[in-house]
Amino acid sequence: MTVMRFTLSEEGVSALRDALACLSKFSEEVSLEAKRDRLVFTAINLSKSAYASFAFASHRFFSKYQYEGIAQHRDKFFCKLYNRALLSLFRNRSGDPLHDRERDTTIERCDVAIIDEAGKKSRFIAKIVFRNGITTKYQLPFEVSPPVHAKFEGDQATNSWSISSRTLRQLMDHFGPGIDYLDIHSEDDQVVNFTCFTEKVANGEEVLKKPLHTSIAVERDEFERFTVEEDKLHIVISVKDFRAIIQHAALLGSEVSASYSMPSKPMQLKYDGDGVKCEFLLMTVGERGAPGQKGKKTRGGAKAPTGPQLEATTSRANSHAPTPAPQPTPQPQPRRQDQMPSLRPPITRPTQRPPPATLESESLFVPQDNDDQWAPVGDNEDEDEEENDRLGWDASGDPEPSAMKMRSMMSNPSGVRPRIEDGTNDNPSQFEPTQRLSDVRKFGLFGD
Amino acid sequence: MASTVGSVPPEQPLFRAVASSTRQIYQLLKCISFSPKVHVQLTHDGMRFTAEHSRVMQGVAFLDQSLFTTYTLNLPEDSRTQPQFQMNLPALLEALQIFGATDAAARAAKTDADPYRSNLRNYRPDAFSHQTLGMPGTCCLMYEADGEALSVVLEESGVKTKCNMTTYTPESPDSIPFDREDLTFKIIMQARWLLDCLSELAPMDPKRITISALTNAPYLRLSSGGALGSASVDFSNSRDLLETFSVRERWTQGFKFDLVKSASEAMRIANKVSFRGDGQGVLSLQFMVEVEGGSVSFLDFRFVPYITQEDDESETAEDEDD
Repeated sequence: MTVMRFTLSEEGVSALRDALACLSKFSEEVSLEAKRDRLVFTAINLSKSAYASFAFASHRFFSKYQYEGIAQHRDKFFCKLYNRALLSLFRNRSGDPLHDRERDTTIERCDVAIIDEAGKKSRFIAKIVFRNGITTKYQLPFEVSPPVHAKFEGDQATNSWSISSRTLRQLMDHFGPGIDYLDIHSEDDQVVNFTCFTEKVANGEEVLKKPLHTSIAVERDEFERFTVEEDKLHIVISVKDFRAIIQHAALLGSEVSASYSMPSKPMQLKYDGDGVKCEFLLMTVGERGAPGQKGKKTRGGAKAPTGPQLEATTSRANSHAPTPAPQPTPQPQPRRQDQMPSLRPPITRPTQRPPPATLESESLFVPQDNDDQWAPVGDNEDEDEEENDRLGWDASGDPEPSAMKMRSMMSNPSGVRPRIEDGTNDNPSQFEPTQRLSDVRKFGLFGD
Repeated sequence: MASTVGSVPPEQPLFRAVASSTRQIYQLLKCISFSPKVHVQLTHDGMRFTAEHSRVMQGVAFLDQSLFTTYTLNLPEDSRTQPQFQMNLPALLEALQIFGATDAAARAAKTDADPYRSNLRNYRPDAFSHQTLGMPGTCCLMYEADGEALSVVLEESGVKTKCNMTTYTPESPDSIPFDREDLTFKIIMQARWLLDCLSELAPMDPKRITISALTNAPYLRLSSGGALGSASVDFSNSRDLLETFSVRERWTQGFKFDLVKSASEAMRIANKVSFRGDGQGVLSLQFMVEVEGGSVSFLDFRFVPYITQEDDESETAEDEDD
């Protein structure tokens, strides 16, 4: 039974290819979610620290779009596909450069149909008709499993800015090779600094090989809009993800807008193209609540996107020296916490405990659709089920990581963020390493 | 044989061919470079190079004597067999590449200085190349006598390079039988499209390729399946895709994908391909390569199919239904 079918023009194929190429930088798998009014492709990376979503409007983007749905769930259909196969399918075909047949090998149209039926081969079928009359038909297997969506609380994101993607693209040209993180912070009313750096070798036992620390100052005028409530807020994101996003955004040439609240809360980047809405959520670390991400360390390990976050948090302090940050003294403090666990034994304990890590990861990215319509599909794996069950949970409801965050923020009384201090009358360094969220609310960090 | 060789005076080698450019020779031989050993036969019409892979694939490049400026084969009067030997193909290709190296280097230097040249006709000899200026280099292939080394002598702007390549006694040179009298189908089309078609199938990482020639639509279908999914390419007859098309009956055979793919260099340089299958299931791909000056050369590939099994048939039938 055909779940849906749509037709793409040549431009559509190339727009889809760009989106898939961008998604492939986040994950090997891509989740497809089809509804009557739109088709959404999403990807979430292995460490769940970055999430990308492309929503194609059915009436604008496709030359034909027909959604039938399946018996159990009429309103939407989802599946996961292997991105490499999709990319090769929608790849750019070049004609023979030595002959004038270039036009002949290009695509006339592309018909895609998804067939899902119990007991029969379920396939993603793409039929590409070339101008020269050759027809190629691909059949790809897919897995019916619900997509994981990251959740972003827009009302909490007090800081936001938007800038032309071309400007960002130009900034990116100045990024050095072998860098991992991008620190965005505004100095005063005039300048916004994009600082990129790496921690790779700095944390190892080897000699520091890559102390490269590039700071790009951007005039505030370059931004269409810039609203950052707090001063001296350092927000650090992974450069790899940022680069993937900007490369795609520059293709569309649209305006990129970012919004975020504070470090260790996700940052949202979004922009629109013709008939497509692109949204990304990136996990951040930063100067305010720096070591709050500790739980991630246990899980991170080998995976690049997690490891970095952690490392960024801990050693950001010493690498920070070259930037003209006005508070050098308090910086080493969070670092010391890490390195001398004997002094503060409770602090390191969460690091070694895996459960908080998983909890945290799920809490950051809540699969959005946990309603009963998923029930029929539940026969996938127990793991999924479990995840679904827990999804009802909200990010702010998780006591463990936020408490940790608080603790570390408190133990960093540097005045990086004056507001904390205002709210806190106690001596911050006296805080217990773990606390209930409710205890912490009074500091005004978690607006309900 | 040794005695007859002895009677040939040294200044009259058994075989000698001189060419002023090795480009076409190199291009043609490169197409059959899928196997390191190549079987060479010298005839009065030209040199025939045969490469084969596990006795299931065979590629023949025929260097017509028109590719050479001088071509002499001094067969002894009483000889009934044609001289033949085996040699290492990569070594020969390497040697041929030496030729024109100085010219190419000069051209590359010019390209840097002049961007116009870089995107237009860079591959053609221009008015200032050594060749046109009347100081051409020569490439001489020489086979002194049976069992001797094949010498490639390259002479170019005062530099003379001589490469001697060991020849080996040929193995049994049985070619893959292809019955021209029993053709099931014959299709002539642009070779480029066959290449496009293979590049459509390749991303799915297939092990085998199924080629079907049908009397009704889609007429010619190439399909394959791999770990990532399956893909098929149809050539519909509607838009002059297929120049000649004659199919006697439905013909479906499976081949190892990698073998068919190793003919892709030929698909790249050829203008047309004649696509034929015989009653036994052997596939023949004959490529027509137009060389500079209007003459044509031919490359011939033959493939032995997989043994057709029952389940293959049913699988194909199922594919048809989809």
